[in-house]
Amino acid sequence: MAEAPALSVQGLTTEFRIGGQWHAAIRGIDFDLGKNETLALVGESGCGKSITALSIMGLIPKAAGRIAAGKILFEGQDLAQLDEEHLREIRGDRIAMIFQEPMTSLNPVLTIGFQVAEALRYHRGMSQAEARTHALELLEQVKIPSARQRLDDYPHQFSGGMRQRVMIAMALACKPQILLADEPTTALDVTIQAQVLLLLAELKQLYGMSMIFISHNLGVVATIADRVAVMYAGEIVETAAVGDLFDRPTHPYTEALLSSIPRVDRTSDTLMAIPGQVPAINRMPGGCRYAPRCALRQPVCERPPALAPVSGSAPTHLARCWVRAGGDR
Amino acid sequence: MLQYLIKRLLYAVPTLLAVLTVVFFVARVLPGDPAQVMLGEQAGAEAIQALRVRLGLDRPLVEQYVDFMQGALSGDWGTSLVTGRSVLGEVLNVIPFTIELTLASILLGALIGVPLGAWSALHRNSLVDYATRIGSLFGLSFPAFVMAIMLLLAFAIQLDWFPVISSGGGGSVSERLLHLALPAVNLGIIMAAYITRVTRSSMLEVLGEDYVRTARAKGVPHRAVVWQHCLRNALIPVVTVVGLYLGILIGNSVLTEIVFNRPGLGKLIVGALTQRDYTMLQGLMVVYTFIIVVVNLLTDLTYGFIDPRVKYQ
Repeated sequence: MAEAPALSVQGLTTEFRIGGQWHAAIRGIDFDLGKNETLALVGESGCGKSITALSIMGLIPKAAGRIAAGKILFEGQDLAQLDEEHLREIRGDRIAMIFQEPMTSLNPVLTIGFQVAEALRYHRGMSQAEARTHALELLEQVKIPSARQRLDDYPHQFSGGMRQRVMIAMALACKPQILLADEPTTALDVTIQAQVLLLLAELKQLYGMSMIFISHNLGVVATIADRVAVMYAGEIVETAAVGDLFDRPTHPYTEALLSSIPRVDRTSDTLMAIPGQVPAINRMPGGCRYAPRCALRQPVCERPPALAPVSGSAPTHLARCWVRAGGDR
Repeated sequence: MLQYLIKRLLYAVPTLLAVLTVVFFVARVLPGDPAQVMLGEQAGAEAIQALRVRLGLDRPLVEQYVDFMQGALSGDWGTSLVTGRSVLGEVLNVIPFTIELTLASILLGALIGVPLGAWSALHRNSLVDYATRIGSLFGLSFPAFVMAIMLLLAFAIQLDWFPVISSGGGGSVSERLLHLALPAVNLGIIMAAYITRVTRSSMLEVLGEDYVRTARAKGVPHRAVVWQHCLRNALIPVVTVVGLYLGILIGNSVLTEIVFNRPGLGKLIVGALTQRDYTMLQGLMVVYTFIIVVVNLLTDLTYGFIDPRVKYQ
């Protein structure tokens, strides 16, 4: 990547206070997001994907959470150090976010037109009328049928898929450089999922955006991402270009995730599941965080492994595993 | 909308009829003879009997009931057994005072309670929040009549700002307001305490909603997040509580009206109860029922105003 990245996250650690003590929900997260690139953050529930996105947006609830260490470099500024007012100017303008739950993420008492126009009024200083005209264009762009009639409708008058389109229109209002999509299709029907994914890919191309796509679904990731970072228990455990990852899944967790995708092209009655669950953030194991659930566990796994190049794969393919990626440093 | 209104008002008719019936019979099974009460302990049996005949109390119950229902439905609520004046006239005389007091205390309660509750929620666990919570608990648990007496002592007697006897005032608006002030503050404080607590808790809930995070992710300034995105959603449960609390408020106003010696429905009903004024009591029950029906209707209409998901059918 010769060009400077659109976003560079370095050593990001976000902590939450539980019972008077601070515990890291994500620790030492490093990644660069290239211009026009789609990076997928993958992992099961509770692994820190959403916390990573919320940290970038500066939306970690202040009462119980904080960014404890690390940098979030965007346009030469460190977002982690920025005050609320400056963050607000960036949010929804140059970095936008789409959330998982279209049913609850729209305000039930405000019209769709108002909610889509809002970002334009605050960031572009448009008048009500201007913003409304622009909102209409956006709704047409995300292919909401008879958008003109629907501007004054309320969220409850829309289906889940349509609401997610409204969310996308809202996020794209100010033509952001970076779009954070947090499980944007998880709550939708499979057929609607495909439509929304296609729409996202199209619009990303049209707007020339970089995208962080958060998902637990590797199947979806394979169709939309350029690069993948697999997260487990608040750490990135493997990162690679999407092709390399699917060719050579290296970390046992990645492997397990891949084999737990249901497949219609194989006859098997049982679906592979990963035994156990993600450890709670106040009960993290000291060494490799996946070790308690790992079939390949060795004595060396008592010590925390570092992200290390996977031998025999592309140099950008890194994994955090003593057994599979050497990590002998 | 109009259809809905008509439907709701028609629904009220059977409710009112049922209340009329219950009121009629309950008043008759209460111990004590009104003729006896009206004429006093010393009255002779003949005088009492004569009065009973005059009042129609000697006729069969069913006959009295039919008479009563016919009268009630045609707008003739009879005359007070005690004063001999028309019940409807007496009610209409005092009802402006009650409405005035109720509206003033709700207005006061909302003006204090909504901002205080919202502010308390926004500064959760701060000193202000604790003070607000303790203050509102105090406002709730303090008996209305004790507060009324304290208000009188402080502002009417010591400081001499307001009249001691809130007779309702004369013709001028300023005088009317002067007479209204202390009773309205008395009930308004209780109302404010309720509204503060409900607003605070519903605001806290709303602040954690996904759509608030969405608004912040759009870069909406804090002030607009609170006023446009949160408050309207947070007010929905507040409307419910105000509606429910109106019933209690009318009950509380009995004590307030007595302490401030202010005319109103509350005072009328206490008088009718102690003097066994059946006809007055019946009339007042109908008025109260009607008030509750209207308040419920207004509450439902307010929901539709705040929440677009509510549809009238």
